[in-house]
Amino acid sequence: MTEAIGIRMEMPWWLRSHAGLAGVIVLIGVVCLVGMMVSDRFLSFNNFLNVFEQTTDLALVSIGQTLTILSGGIDLSVGSLISLTSCLTSGLINNNPDRVIPVVLAVLALGTLVGFINAGLVVVLRVHPLIVTLGMGAILQGVTLLYALGPVGRVPRSFNFLAYGRLYGLPLGATIAVLLCLLIAFVLRYLPLGRQIYALGDDANSARLVGLRRTRILMLVYGCSGFCCAATGLYLAARFGAGQPYTGVNYTLASITPVVLGGTLLSGGKGGVIGTLLGAFLIALLNNLLNFMDVSKHYQLVAQALIIILAVSVYVDRRGMA
Amino acid sequence: MLTLAAISKGFPGVRALSGVSLEVRPGEIHGLLGENGAGKSTLIKIIAGAYTPDEGEMSFAGAAARWSSPREAKQHGVHVVYQEFALFPQLSVAENIFVGQERRNAFGLVDHARTRREARELLQRLGVSLDVDASVSSLSVADQQMVEIARAMVRNVKLLVLDEPTAVIAGREVALLFDLLRRLRESGVSVLFISHRLDEVFAICDRVTVLKDGRLVGTHDVADVTRKRLISMMVGRDLGDLFPPRPAAARTGEPVLRTEGVAVGDRVRDISIELRAGEIVALAGMVGAGRSELALGLFGAVPILKGTIHLGGQRFTSMSPARAIRLGVGLVTEDRKSQGLAMLLNIAANITGPALSEVARHGLVDRRLESEIAAREIERYRIACRGPATKVATMSGGNQQKVIVARWARICRSVLILDEPTRGVDVGAKAEIYRIMRDLAASGVAILMISSELTEVMGMADRVIVMREGRVTGELAGCETTEEGIMHLATSECAA
Repeated sequence: MTEAIGIRMEMPWWLRSHAGLAGVIVLIGVVCLVGMMVSDRFLSFNNFLNVFEQTTDLALVSIGQTLTILSGGIDLSVGSLISLTSCLTSGLINNNPDRVIPVVLAVLALGTLVGFINAGLVVVLRVHPLIVTLGMGAILQGVTLLYALGPVGRVPRSFNFLAYGRLYGLPLGATIAVLLCLLIAFVLRYLPLGRQIYALGDDANSARLVGLRRTRILMLVYGCSGFCCAATGLYLAARFGAGQPYTGVNYTLASITPVVLGGTLLSGGKGGVIGTLLGAFLIALLNNLLNFMDVSKHYQLVAQALIIILAVSVYVDRRGMA
Repeated sequence: MLTLAAISKGFPGVRALSGVSLEVRPGEIHGLLGENGAGKSTLIKIIAGAYTPDEGEMSFAGAAARWSSPREAKQHGVHVVYQEFALFPQLSVAENIFVGQERRNAFGLVDHARTRREARELLQRLGVSLDVDASVSSLSVADQQMVEIARAMVRNVKLLVLDEPTAVIAGREVALLFDLLRRLRESGVSVLFISHRLDEVFAICDRVTVLKDGRLVGTHDVADVTRKRLISMMVGRDLGDLFPPRPAAARTGEPVLRTEGVAVGDRVRDISIELRAGEIVALAGMVGAGRSELALGLFGAVPILKGTIHLGGQRFTSMSPARAIRLGVGLVTEDRKSQGLAMLLNIAANITGPALSEVARHGLVDRRLESEIAAREIERYRIACRGPATKVATMSGGNQQKVIVARWARICRSVLILDEPTRGVDVGAKAEIYRIMRDLAASGVAILMISSELTEVMGMADRVIVMREGRVTGELAGCETTEEGIMHLATSECAA
């Protein structure tokens, strides 16, 4: 324990903020080592691209979730928002290539708007984000089912490109996720409002006393989360060809996993999106490894859960615990 | 610079301020004195824009000031350093100084290099050497205070309000702070300095205002006022009225609790103390000396890392709250809201809380019996309320404290530990709590009282144990206790 602290003290200042990344990088290394022993195809470039592609949806939604957690909150409406946006995407485009661009823009705007409403409710009603977004999630799931009870609409071939297309040999969706992640990392590091997300998450009371604008910060944070959900919804509609009303259900809890694996504190104030991206990649890599080992989907869930509990127990501050 | 005229502010159940007027002149250090509960904190929160007054006018730098948020007050140049600080523990020193005032480059982006450079320059100007990249949680309390003051400098402060800045620092650090405040005064900054230590007021302030029970007692030039006069202004009565008389002959009995080399938490080390039946022992020291940790350790609320506790004729190397209660030990915690009372429950449930088996019949709680017991305690401790069913959250701080003391006094047979028992309690309730403590001691309970108020320590204790930085630095018998003696043991730079 003291040795770990000693190492942190010697790190240059610009590295300290990335100290949380160490864990996830080590874990990725471990999975790669095991993979190498299991199959020589595991470490091939093609398999890497494959895993990269499978990271897309989880990466997109968790990048947004990182912001809400950093700010000391959480967004539990992500799953339903993904379901709604994926249904709206295929339902509204309805196999008409001319509608692709307006619908994509509208869906992204809607996701952002839902995020703004979440932030607005947190500020106006003074209710914890956990409750606000839980309620918002239920509302959105209801709205989704009002719109569609099963798979709805279809997307044209041109739109499928988002999920299956390659750009200079790289999977398009995953590349977009990486670019989005870099953009948000830049915002977090170089925009005053980005720095203030950390301050708010670190100590909300201090933030109030030094006069930080909580409303603006939360609008940015939950707006971003909503935008990321909409992007995930678009991607899933493209991948499955049609939106489904329950397609996002599992993402609510799943989106928290990469955040935690990436070294972001669940209580907020410390962490970042690069770690989250690596966390999402680690999960995809792990599932890929388990596939190589012919482990059933059910055990994959168990393995994932164990890794999360283990990872969190490594990061957690144990002082004061018996 | 700042003028308050007839400011009043009330909260449900309490009138915190009534008709208080105050004037702080440009470039003066103005002391604000008062006991706990006199309304100092409420007053500075109004100045800071965190509260709006119910009545009265406030003006700042020649213009009427009706601030609706701390942000607005800051923009006008009012900066408050609260006792509990408004810092971000995980952020670096530099980030803490410039939060909300981020240094930017030509593109409007946060300029990290400039932030660190300017933070270093600023701290240098204040005469402190700190690593600007260290996280604030790794700093000493005194250094954290410097970070707060540095932050005020960034915002072009005109009025700096310091809420009991010396409660958490000692000796050389106080001298450093005072030096800094004098330099600020020379540069035209006004300082409002809240304290309840008279020496400090005489050392640094130009004028002093005294509050008592939410009212203004008076404002004087420090040069024209004596120490004695200030005390009588603050207390408003002789100390003899506040503290119950000591029993003629000290009748301390057998040792009931003894520790040997006990270590608790990060700091508390090597504690060997003894409590005897029927005596009141004060545990004195600065905030952060480890007194509360020790109390929690003795009660079993945090683990004991080393050493033994001898209690009730048995020897223990570990303790738990359940065991402590069984052996007749009670703990009134420092923060009654978060660690003591169930705020949403009524008085009866709060009083019987740790001894439910007593009011249970056939394994179920007998509500009528519970309420009878509560009614008796309400009567005995003169708790002001409508009855046993009153919700604790609706009561004043003093009465809440009486509820929690009543709870433990009932079931505590050997040792009662009270952590700052009169914090945030009005003078009337204080006298009551002192009386209860004296009565308990007379019935043979050993009382360990943690207190940062020296008048309280000297008025109540049969014996004083002083702690500093997690260790016991000395012990004083009640009759030989002086303010200076305690402060010396609590702050001396070289280990005793």
